[in-house]
Amino acid sequence: MPDNQGLIRERLGKLWLETRREEEILLELADHLDDHAAALEARGVARDAAAREALDSVSNWPEFREEILAAETEEAIMNYRTKALWLPALCALTLSNGCLALMQIFGVPAHFYWFGIGKDVQALCEFIVPWIISQPVVGAVAAYWSRRAGGTVRYQLLAALAPAIALLGLFLLILPWAMIVDKNVAHHVKLGAFLILTVTWVLLPSVPLLIGAAPFLRKPHAQA
Amino acid sequence: MIGIDIKIKRGSGELAILALLDQEPLHGYEISKRIAQVTGGVLQFNLASLYPLLYRMEKRGWVRGKWEETKNGRKRRCYHLTRNGKKQLAPLREEWGMFFQALHRIAGVAHAG
Repeated sequence: MPDNQGLIRERLGKLWLETRREEEILLELADHLDDHAAALEARGVARDAAAREALDSVSNWPEFREEILAAETEEAIMNYRTKALWLPALCALTLSNGCLALMQIFGVPAHFYWFGIGKDVQALCEFIVPWIISQPVVGAVAAYWSRRAGGTVRYQLLAALAPAIALLGLFLLILPWAMIVDKNVAHHVKLGAFLILTVTWVLLPSVPLLIGAAPFLRKPHAQA
Repeated sequence: MIGIDIKIKRGSGELAILALLDQEPLHGYEISKRIAQVTGGVLQFNLASLYPLLYRMEKRGWVRGKWEETKNGRKRRCYHLTRNGKKQLAPLREEWGMFFQALHRIAGVAHAG
């Protein structure tokens, strides 16, 4: 008989419930799998195949995990999301912006480039290369933290990309505001500036953030 | 086997579980086996669909899980219908009866009642 309790624990990961309750759930689910496999064996299925088939009756373990948490308490699902998404994302945001602030305080030189965004109009772009180089570490920390907390790959990605997503959100808020309020600058110039800001502060940092996160992106409890 | 939408399945599952536990306390696997047997496989609950439902019902106080030793000496978590669960049975039966009658009127779906 396979160690169904261990296999379930591996797939469900930590549920963040009271230890006794968590153990009870694992034991109960393992009992169910044992019975299921035994019933299959009784129907002539080979032992290994029966154990595998019983385990494969759950097609989506992360979803099953969320269903259990949702059933247990509304609070638990909040805790799960907080632990697996919001905290790692906040950590990434703080690290990323902290690095940027420190580099500006210590006068790390920035590279400036002019981009043409309209007739006789140019936008100044600022690249702080050491900051961009530091971003893989931020992405890695966030993705690792999210995975350790049982986050799905989507949560791991969102946490790792949090600094870029936050800036994109900020730009998306500023753009319509600038379009409506600031009447002295032509709309195509504002749009051009928005696109350049998005490229330099959102898309460009997203690449190192993803590179850092990539080695840690994994289904939290992927089937073997 | 007929595919049944998950929400309808969940709602009907609650009624099925309450009705089964009204007869005798059962553990999870036995509940899923009985449901499949009695409904001829139309309603089937596996690990992922049964336990969240049972845990939700337990939180609501409709059923109570208790570790008990079975005839073969194995400890199993058996579910008992609580007084509160018993109170839910009649209104749920009525609700589902009305649902099938309504479906029958609109779409000619025959109900078992």
